[in-house]
Amino acid sequence: MTEEDGKTQGMKVLGILDIHNTPCAREAILHGAAGSVAAGLLHFLATSRVKRSFDVGVAGFMITTLGSWFYCRYNNAKLRFQQRIIQEGLKNKVFYEGTDLDPTLKKTGDK
Amino acid sequence: MAHPAQLGFQDAASPVMEELLCFHDHALMIVFLISTLVLYIIIAMVSTKLTNKFILDSQEIEIVWTVLPAIILILIALPSLRILYLMDEINDPHVTIKAVGHQWYWSYEYTDYENLEFDSYMVPTQDLTPGGFRLLETDHRMVVPKESPIRILVSAEDVLHSWAVPSLGIKMDAVPGRLNQTAFIVSRPGVFYGQCSEICGANHSFMPIVVEAVPLEFFENWSSAMLEDA
Repeated sequence: MTEEDGKTQGMKVLGILDIHNTPCAREAILHGAAGSVAAGLLHFLATSRVKRSFDVGVAGFMITTLGSWFYCRYNNAKLRFQQRIIQEGLKNKVFYEGTDLDPTLKKTGDK
Repeated sequence: MAHPAQLGFQDAASPVMEELLCFHDHALMIVFLISTLVLYIIIAMVSTKLTNKFILDSQEIEIVWTVLPAIILILIALPSLRILYLMDEINDPHVTIKAVGHQWYWSYEYTDYENLEFDSYMVPTQDLTPGGFRLLETDHRMVVPKESPIRILVSAEDVLHSWAVPSLGIKMDAVPGRLNQTAFIVSRPGVFYGQCSEICGANHSFMPIVVEAVPLEFFENWSSAMLEDA
C-alpha cells in the first residue's frame, strides 16, 4: 500500500512490511503467529525435542502466514473484480435504460 | 503525490498502478518470509556449536534449497508476467498524445486535434503561485479525459529522456529517432506529477511532467480554448 498524506506511517515488520497499510498483512502475520505456536507446541508435546520443535514452529509460521495471505488476497481480488463488473453494469444501465439494448427488458421478456 | 522520506509507492490513479501495488505487496510478503527464515537460520547457527557439524554430503538439503527458490521465483514471476502483458495492451484509445522530450522541457502534440501542441516548461520557484509545488509545476499541463483509454507516443528531440508518472504506473523511455508507445486510463480526476527519469543533462531535474485528468466535458472545453489560442 501507499503512504501518502493523511495516512498513518504504519508499523514496519523487519523494516520492510508495513502491516498497518497493507491489506491482509496484519491478519496473515497474526494467523502465522498462532500457527507457529500451535505447530511448535504440538510437536514438542509429541516428541519432547526442543530444537526440532522450534524448527517446526518456524515452518508453521511460514506456511500459515503464506496460506492466510493468499486466501485473504484472493478473496480481495475476487471482490475487486466483482466491484468492477458492478461499476461497468451501472454505467451501462444509464446508457441503455429505456432502449432496446436494456438488459433488464430482455430478462423480463417485455420486448 | 510524493512526500519527504517516502519509501513506498504513491496512491494509484490507474488500473495498472493498482495491479502494480498489489504485486508490490505480494513481493514484499515473500521478501518478509524469506528474511524471517534467514534470520531464524542465522540465530540457530550462532546459538549452538553442534548444529550439523559433520555434514559433508546431504542430498535432502540440496533438493530443498534448489526446489524452494524455484517455487519462490515462480510465485514472483507469474504475477509479474501478467502485469507486464497487461501494461502492453493498447485497446482502442480515445485520444493519442505525442510527448517529445527536449533539453530541458517536454512538448505535447494532440494528434487527434489539428494544431493542438504546446511546450511544457517548469515554473521557476520565484514564479510559483501559493500552493504550487517547487520543481514540479509546469506552465502548461498535459490535460486528459478521465476514464478514457489514452495512448501516449514518447520520443525525444536530442538526447535520452524518460516520461514517467508514478501514480499512473508509467515510465517510458524517450529515445531520439524512435517512437515508443504506451497506454493508460486515469480512473479519477486529479493532477498527477512526474519527472524526467533518464539523466539527460544539466537541467534533467527541471523538466517535470504534470498530467491533469478531467471529465470529458472539461477536456473538450480545454481543447477548444487551446485551439482558439493557437
